[in-house]
Amino acid sequence: MATILQTRGLKKYFGGLRAINGVDLVIEEGELRCLIGPNGAGKSTLFKLILGSYPPSAGAILFKGDDITTLQPHLRVQRGMSIKFQVPGIFLQLPVEQNLRIALQRPHRGAALDQALERLLELIDLGHQRSELAANLSHGQQQWLEIAMAVALQPAMLLLDEPTAGMSPEETFKTGELVKKLNASGMTIVVIEHDMAFVRQIAKRVTVLHFGEVFDDGSLDKIVRNEDVVRIYLGKV
Amino acid sequence: MPRWLSLVDGPQTLGRGPAFWFVLGVIVLVAALLPTFVNAFAITNLTYFLVWVFMALGLSLIWGYAGILSFGQTAFFGLAGYTYGVISINLGDAGLWTWFALLLSLVLPAMLAILVGYFMFYGGVRDVFVGIVTLSITLVFETFMAQTAGPEWTIGSARLNGFNGMSNMPPLTFPWGENPIIFDGTSLFWLVLALVVLVYVGLRILVNSRFGNVLVAIRENPERAEMLGYNVRLYQLFVFVIGSVLAGLSGVLYTLWGSYITPSSMGLTAAALPIIWVAAGGRKDITATLFATVLLTWLSQQLAVKGSQYALIWMGVILLVVVLFAPEGLFVTVWKKLRDGRRMRQRATAPKTVSLPSA
Amino acid sequence: MRWSIAHFLPHAQMTFLVEAYAFFYQLADSFAFLVLCGLGLAIIFGMMGVINLAHGEFIMCGAYVTVLSARAGLPLPFAMLCGTLAAGLVGLILEFLIIRRLYHRLFDSIVATWALSLIATQGMLIVAGPSIEGLKTPFGSFELGEYSFSVYRALLPLIALLLLGALYWLFVRTRFGIYSRATIQDADMARALGANTRRIYSQTFTLGAALAGLTGALYAPTITAVPTMGQAFIVQSFVTVVVSGADVMLGLAPSAAVLAFIQSLLAKSYGQLIGQIGLLMTVIIVVRVLPKGISGWVLQRNGGR
Repeated sequence: MATILQTRGLKKYFGGLRAINGVDLVIEEGELRCLIGPNGAGKSTLFKLILGSYPPSAGAILFKGDDITTLQPHLRVQRGMSIKFQVPGIFLQLPVEQNLRIALQRPHRGAALDQALERLLELIDLGHQRSELAANLSHGQQQWLEIAMAVALQPAMLLLDEPTAGMSPEETFKTGELVKKLNASGMTIVVIEHDMAFVRQIAKRVTVLHFGEVFDDGSLDKIVRNEDVVRIYLGKV
Repeated sequence: MPRWLSLVDGPQTLGRGPAFWFVLGVIVLVAALLPTFVNAFAITNLTYFLVWVFMALGLSLIWGYAGILSFGQTAFFGLAGYTYGVISINLGDAGLWTWFALLLSLVLPAMLAILVGYFMFYGGVRDVFVGIVTLSITLVFETFMAQTAGPEWTIGSARLNGFNGMSNMPPLTFPWGENPIIFDGTSLFWLVLALVVLVYVGLRILVNSRFGNVLVAIRENPERAEMLGYNVRLYQLFVFVIGSVLAGLSGVLYTLWGSYITPSSMGLTAAALPIIWVAAGGRKDITATLFATVLLTWLSQQLAVKGSQYALIWMGVILLVVVLFAPEGLFVTVWKKLRDGRRMRQRATAPKTVSLPSA
Repeated sequence: MRWSIAHFLPHAQMTFLVEAYAFFYQLADSFAFLVLCGLGLAIIFGMMGVINLAHGEFIMCGAYVTVLSARAGLPLPFAMLCGTLAAGLVGLILEFLIIRRLYHRLFDSIVATWALSLIATQGMLIVAGPSIEGLKTPFGSFELGEYSFSVYRALLPLIALLLLGALYWLFVRTRFGIYSRATIQDADMARALGANTRRIYSQTFTLGAALAGLTGALYAPTITAVPTMGQAFIVQSFVTVVVSGADVMLGLAPSAAVLAFIQSLLAKSYGQLIGQIGLLMTVIIVVRVLPKGISGWVLQRNGGR
């Protein structure tokens, strides 16, 4: 399998705070990876560095073999990555359908766009609310809408930052099935998640971040057996 | 109908369908025929009301659609007016020189907008600071032009003339054998009216296009728009340039209309007016902006009979009332109320007709 | 000549000293003007994030009330107090009627205060006419070389510094100050700790308006009060506040000092209008280079994000 994403010695300091302190992460093509770790471990910061929201203090980021460390965010997205933010980042004052059209109109045109729109509406089960303002959706539906917008770009790699936050157990389970389905279709997916049931449902491999460093890495069963991980993270749950 | 033309109707504009376009067509037709009914003075006034529309539409695009509040559109207005004055006074009205002056008066604001826009959007200047930068620029222009009273401030044969401003520039002239066509009075009115129609339809197509979709996306959530792969800063720059060229167009036409331009057209009070028109009508809709601008400039003129202070007070009151009670703008609020009311009635009647047979 | 120093110094050096003092006087005058202009606006902006475009009209209000009550026979200090209180009262009322509805709507609050400014300026034009008879500047003047300096204007920089000191005390030592600084930091947290944020906003707006009124009152004896005078003041106010950044205590004095220097230098060499242009250009550059102003820059250097 080819490597799709690699970070080398990635660091990010905010003043004296070391949010990311030398992370070497390798994601293979087609992988479904979970990132876990206590609050403040640097998970969201890592995502933002990968997407270029701010520049790293040191280190390099490689995507599909190319160094993208200094590339502007929108160009990274155009190269095939896509994100669902932690706080739903949708266009609240626009209808559901237009939210999706804005996402779809860059890769698609004409009739293909309309077909893709219907597929996405079906995927997230919002066809009956297509002309509703996004602001009027439930929190879970807003999360799904944003996932659909991120998926609309047909990314090679999808980053999901806490996709199930604020969802009921049932919604969380549906989201897990959705993530597995997308992954089965060949999409590389990296997920930040707190919900261990969700992680168990989807993940083949888990990476633990702690104080901005990779603390442990492997299958969930291996991670759970690591007493140090349990101590810093799982023990608190 | 070609696809690009079908974009005149779309999610970013209120008012669509045959009835809407029929009414609009009638209004334009009546306006075009007005010179046969009313006197030259009324036509001159009407031209004046329409002259401001371009700057307002430009601001609606920048502020209402793209979410960038520029306080300084009058900088581009003034720059264009002065450019036309300087060029046309120097080159005269022979041949197509006045048209060349007109063209340059749009190119210069475009260049200034590119410069200022690049400085702001690529420099991370955001939100209210965009307003501060643009306002500062227009005040710099005003102050600078106000101190050009001395004879040393002369470009070629054109004197800038300080606080009193420039005057006596030649009107647009088109060579036509013995009798060149001079655009003043009725012909200027028709020219301005045609431009209003052209710009209005053009903007409707623009805001309903893929480009317009991205604009409202940036207004709603710039970070998300960027993470969908759009070059947010480039879009902002582009829309700022379009809006500023439109402000420039208003500036040239104003200069042509009155044959004068003064620094006060760029001052604080002047800068407030486009904001008032756009906010009062509804900044997120160009149709509302268009009619609000004509209506409010007309109202200002009516109120200013006793002195401009009476008009400005009412403009202030209207703005305050709108912000407090109809933040989306008067026209947009009324339009949406009517539309929702009609939908409610349709919904209320629809189930009855279905349920009756089964009963 | 009363100044005995002149007898001991050769003429050339005397001229230099006088020139230097004249420049310093200009600088201090400019500094005082910028501080006094900026204070009220800065407090409202820093605390509430509201950009008060009617700030100039509060200054105008203070100046008018001062002039009118002084001409009605009140001693000047009391007339100035009246001007200050009147502006504060107007601020209190407007906050209650209008501003408090717009706290979380930045654009709307700007537009609404702009509307208020328009109404106040044009209303005053209708009510009081294009200008009113001014007051005589108190304390007379003193002469140095070929220059004549107003004693009153020489005192204004001292008053500006005193006011800054008083505000420092207000924000550091009083209950209002502590609650209000907590509100700046985190409004929700302050509310949880028992601060009545709504009342603090109201008090802050009133204080800002009163300070603007005081500025108008202090300058009333030196200028001719006209309805459009607010426009001249507001540009200077904005420039100072933008360069200062949100923290008044930290940023305002350095901001005013830097700007006064730029303005005095340009005005001395090229005239008042170019000095004004220099100020505006400075703001444009500062917004780009230090978007949070001097105070934001200082705070960032001291370890914050």
